[in-house]
Amino acid sequence: MGLVRTAVLTGLAWAFAAGAVLAHHSFAMFDTEHPIEIAGTVREFRWVAPHTVLVVEVKGQDGTVEHWTLEGGTPSLLRREGMTATSLKPGEEIVVRVNPLRSGAPGGSYQAPQVRFRDGRPVVAPH
Amino acid sequence: MGKTSAVVLALTVMTGRVAAQQPFDQGKYPAFDGQWTRVGPIERYDPTKPYARGQEAPLTPEYQALFDANLAEVARGGIGDDPVYRCIPEGMPRAMNLVFPMEIVITRDTTYLLMENPSNLRRIYTDGRAFPTDESPSWMGYSIGRWIDENGDGRYEVLEVETRNLKNPRTFDSSGLPLHKDAQTVVKERFFLDRTKPDTLYDEITTYDHALTRPWSVTKTMHRESKPVWVETICGENNLHVNIGNQIYMLNDAGELMPIKKDQPPPDLKHFNMPKK
Repeated sequence: MGLVRTAVLTGLAWAFAAGAVLAHHSFAMFDTEHPIEIAGTVREFRWVAPHTVLVVEVKGQDGTVEHWTLEGGTPSLLRREGMTATSLKPGEEIVVRVNPLRSGAPGGSYQAPQVRFRDGRPVVAPH
Repeated sequence: MGKTSAVVLALTVMTGRVAAQQPFDQGKYPAFDGQWTRVGPIERYDPTKPYARGQEAPLTPEYQALFDANLAEVARGGIGDDPVYRCIPEGMPRAMNLVFPMEIVITRDTTYLLMENPSNLRRIYTDGRAFPTDESPSWMGYSIGRWIDENGDGRYEVLEVETRNLKNPRTFDSSGLPLHKDAQTVVKERFFLDRTKPDTLYDEITTYDHALTRPWSVTKTMHRESKPVWVETICGENNLHVNIGNQIYMLNDAGELMPIKKDQPPPDLKHFNMPKK
């Protein structure tokens, strides 16, 4: 599937330390050295412990749709970063920088400052 | 029993009760109340040093080899020896890495360290008891504390704590830094406020463990939040990490297993009636 992925953007808004630990446990299954960017539609945003889950529908160039399951910080951590359960709603168009699963399966991790709406607005205002 | 004896007995009983119920003088204790958050990076036993090998843990050769093997597995995309992805508590001393905020409540006989991460409740008994001999081990261990009046002004400044009877598996942090399999860890701590910055709390921790060549001491720094926010955190609510056999997988949004490593084998389904091809 030819996913709509682009090379990792650079810039301050995206400059989060590579390999940064965002969880209370190992996130080694996510490849922080080779992040990718996906663009798609929010299918679901679960405000749950131990990690929030962001599901993004990504349309391939051939029209097929793939669901990406992304783990983020806990509600505890994200709330302190300014995010809430309603920061992302189904149907919204977003672009996310993802540390993908090393297996190649459509899953990965995300960090709140690395999610923005398609029009460029950040989901969480930079601190 | 004569009338006088009965009065004396009654007074003795009453006096004893009164003595046991003396009002708790909060003013004698340091202002540890409020919400405390970690100062420094997440998940480092020594917050002043880099992650993983950068911690320069004084491991024995045997446990250094185990740690190296763990890091090799992590480099392949595995979770390694960090056990808490299963939603078990971090245990001591890792709990004091303070991924989540903590509240301290001092009572006459017990000081409570209430961490937002559930099951990370620490009870520190300060009533003069000895360590029990028949207590089941636990991840947070059995903690006995002693209040210290260091400068003799009639008020306590320091809480010294010793924690024993810990349960495995535990690691120092999420990199898989190991503690010994014998679970004989002893953790000694000193909690005290900064003398000039009352919203800064220190925890000097020394860990004694047979995986170490010497006791390993670090100092944790915590900041008191002026506008605390508490968020319920129930780890078992939606854990996507699944351990089957000796493999760990991740669930997708449909609840299906996904491999986390390249060429990871699927689970063994021999106990299921699979359709014959």
